[in-house]
Amino acid sequence: MKNHKKMFVLTETVLAFAIILLVFTMFWEKNGKSPYRISVVIQDSDDNQWSALKYGLKMAAEDQEMELFIVNTGGPLTPEEEKKLLEYEIENGADGVIVQPAPGNDTEKVLEDIKKKVPVMLVESAASQDKESSIFPVTEPDNYGMGAALAEELLKDYSGNVDGKTFGILTEYADVEALSSRKKGFLDVVEQQGAEICWSVSEPLSDNRKDFLETLAKVDFVIALDDNSLQTAGKYTAANDLHGALVYGIGNSTEAVYYLDTDRVRCLVAPDEFQMGYQSFTEMAESLGHLFCSVQGQVVSHTVLRKETLFLEENQEILFTMSQ
Amino acid sequence: MITFSVISLSILLILGVVMYLRFSASARQEMISSTQKLMEQTGENLEDYLVSMRRVSDSVYYNVIKGRDFSSQDQEIQRGMNLLYEANRDNLRSIAVYNNFGSLVAAEPVVLQKEDPNITQQGWYQQAMSEMENMHFSTPHIQNLFDDAAFRYYWVISLSRVVELTKQGSTQLGVLLVDMDYSSIERMMKQINTSNSGQYFYLCDGDGKIIYHTRQIQISNGIAEENSLQAAAYKDGVYDEVFHGERRKVIVNTISYTGWKLVGVIPYSAFTYGMFNIRYFSVIFLLLMAMMLVFVNRVVSVRISSPILKLSHSILEYEAGKTPEIYIGGSEEIRYLGLSVQSSYEQIDKLMKKIVLEQNERRKSELDALQSQINPHFLYNALDSIIWMVESKRNDDAAFMISELAKFFRVSLSKGRTVISIRDELQHAKSYMNIQKIRYKNSFSVVFEIDPAVYGCCTVKLILQPILENAINYGMVDLDGCGEIKVVGKQENGKVILSVIDNGMGMPEEEASLLLTDDSRIPKRGSGVGMLNVNKRIQVLFGKEYGLIVKSELDEGTEVSICIPAVPYTEENRKILEKGSAFTREGMTEKEI
Repeated sequence: MKNHKKMFVLTETVLAFAIILLVFTMFWEKNGKSPYRISVVIQDSDDNQWSALKYGLKMAAEDQEMELFIVNTGGPLTPEEEKKLLEYEIENGADGVIVQPAPGNDTEKVLEDIKKKVPVMLVESAASQDKESSIFPVTEPDNYGMGAALAEELLKDYSGNVDGKTFGILTEYADVEALSSRKKGFLDVVEQQGAEICWSVSEPLSDNRKDFLETLAKVDFVIALDDNSLQTAGKYTAANDLHGALVYGIGNSTEAVYYLDTDRVRCLVAPDEFQMGYQSFTEMAESLGHLFCSVQGQVVSHTVLRKETLFLEENQEILFTMSQ
Repeated sequence: MITFSVISLSILLILGVVMYLRFSASARQEMISSTQKLMEQTGENLEDYLVSMRRVSDSVYYNVIKGRDFSSQDQEIQRGMNLLYEANRDNLRSIAVYNNFGSLVAAEPVVLQKEDPNITQQGWYQQAMSEMENMHFSTPHIQNLFDDAAFRYYWVISLSRVVELTKQGSTQLGVLLVDMDYSSIERMMKQINTSNSGQYFYLCDGDGKIIYHTRQIQISNGIAEENSLQAAAYKDGVYDEVFHGERRKVIVNTISYTGWKLVGVIPYSAFTYGMFNIRYFSVIFLLLMAMMLVFVNRVVSVRISSPILKLSHSILEYEAGKTPEIYIGGSEEIRYLGLSVQSSYEQIDKLMKKIVLEQNERRKSELDALQSQINPHFLYNALDSIIWMVESKRNDDAAFMISELAKFFRVSLSKGRTVISIRDELQHAKSYMNIQKIRYKNSFSVVFEIDPAVYGCCTVKLILQPILENAINYGMVDLDGCGEIKVVGKQENGKVILSVIDNGMGMPEEEASLLLTDDSRIPKRGSGVGMLNVNKRIQVLFGKEYGLIVKSELDEGTEVSICIPAVPYTEENRKILEKGSAFTREGMTEKEI
């Protein structure tokens, strides 16, 4: 009889426990299922050049059913400012961060502390010039390849003969690995053909420095290796401030496309920013969802755009993502 | 009970599964129906939108362009186009008219055309020119017509048709282009793509080219895929398909005139997504029912088994010697069983009492019978002695003997009592010995060494006399006047020991042991009643642990001890003992002796 009573109590307890467990699970799945939150920090986040990247991030967040938060930066950041922003995001519950490293030689060092707290994925560029020894995974285009592709397009226009032609190179920053790689890729190709690099400017060129380019020596080609530089070059060309120099560049904004469309830029190499956003977020999401999966860097494609090919069906998607 | 539980649980389980399957099938059907309704509604909205765009195109053509000369009435044409554009600007990006060379004739809003948009090579232009009688809806594309200094590129759907343009009185063909803002269609599609269950809707043209898809860029980038080619081939209806290993329902709704297909996709996982909570509820319901079933089982089993257990418990107590009331309760059957058991026990009790009573009666009768054996025996001996005295003229002795005989019989009778005090018993023994001494001419001596404490104790009457008789007959007869009989009375450990010790011939140990056991022995002398009689009487009254102890040694003498409990002689104790009940010391009253 005592055994029967024990059995009864045990059975009822087990059943009650199972019911409670199921109810909790049901409510947890209904309400408490908190998706991972991934924060994204990019330089001057409101800038048009990030439209495709942000669209890619947004699409990936929807596909992965995770929360995306793009930090409003409003302008360029120093490594320390970037670190502060990232720490603030982590305090606010970010489970992983996607960062465009701020220009600077010690950015990698500054970001090391962040990596100890949450997974970090870099986009656009590595955090140090020595990319091989970097501890951070990077989702980026083949920067060297883009530089080289731009050079090859230029060579195509001149049947490979640029001997004696003069070049001016514009980059926004000197200490950004991606820009260094692009520059190297470009130079490696054109220098073999006897091109002469007259000047190389590596600084943000705002409107109040308009006269700066006029002071530079006249060149045959201005090579803008980032979107902001290309926009600046396009603007100056429109105002005929580049003394007839032809502009070739790398860019990912509708402004860059517009300058190509209006013949101010001869050739545009556009990294697939949508893919960069989508892949970086997906990679981060997968690493968060799997305990033993670490964040891996990705290389995204780029497209060479000419005015003639700009509105081809296969290129319209690039414009579509840039217009989002 | 286990069988009942298993059957109940099985039925419950089957019921639960059947209910779940039925409910899920109905929910699935409901989901498909609601999706179809939603798609019909959206299809109608899309059709309305496209019809309104066609009306814009018709109005531009028939109300504004047709019958007007562009060379002289360009202002009116522009005004008319402006009015229509302004009225529909939420859905329109631009209205433009191109001549058969691809040159811009009129446009609204008025903006700068690109330097060389190469109109004749654009898809919408070629489509219109290839089938002049129709209006053509393009797939979404970037508008490549006007220079937008704000660096914007618009995603539009072009509605193009061939129109007749009049310029300076002559008519030529041209193309009227109405660029619809893609965002209008996007907005409509987004409104229905809100489910997070995996269900989604997309729009494709008749060739399967995607117009809107929630993952449009992923598809064009090769990250995702869509079975739009197959969907475009479907007629309106609901289809089952497996795409990339995923089973799904595809609902197709064709948009009039355009041939576009509005496709709803419900992966089978979406059905279960909606029913996830129902699954939980079903399992919880089953568990609750199981809990209730176990509880009800328990209650029922307790209700049935509890009276049985109580009954069993009371029977066990009864068997253990207690006398509880037999439990009578529970169902009718159990109550009847209890009543039967109770009745049986009552019967047993009655029978037991009857048996005890009969046993006591039998013992008493036996005692009385044994006692009655003595009297004739002794009377014969005594009278024999008196006769002998009278014949030998020993009148004083005869008188003494008769006096002693009288005392002897007074004690023997004791008002018919079986239990007397030891004092009376000793008196009886003394009388007897006095009689015997006379008979045997004082050929032996008798000594009484009695502890006064034993006088007030109870004894069965007439137990010393047979022993003394034996001592005389077997111990003194052959001793030629030096025989001695000592009667010792003492109390030891709650017992009274009355010993008769003689210094006679004694007997071997084997013979002594037979005195109290061998019923078939024929005595050489005496009445034949003897010590066996005495021993039985003591044991009948006081129990087996009491009685006689015989110690004898050949040529040394014999000692026969009577061992009885030291029970104070009171009227109450006497009555208890005489009643024939088995002797227990607890039942006796204590009294200082």
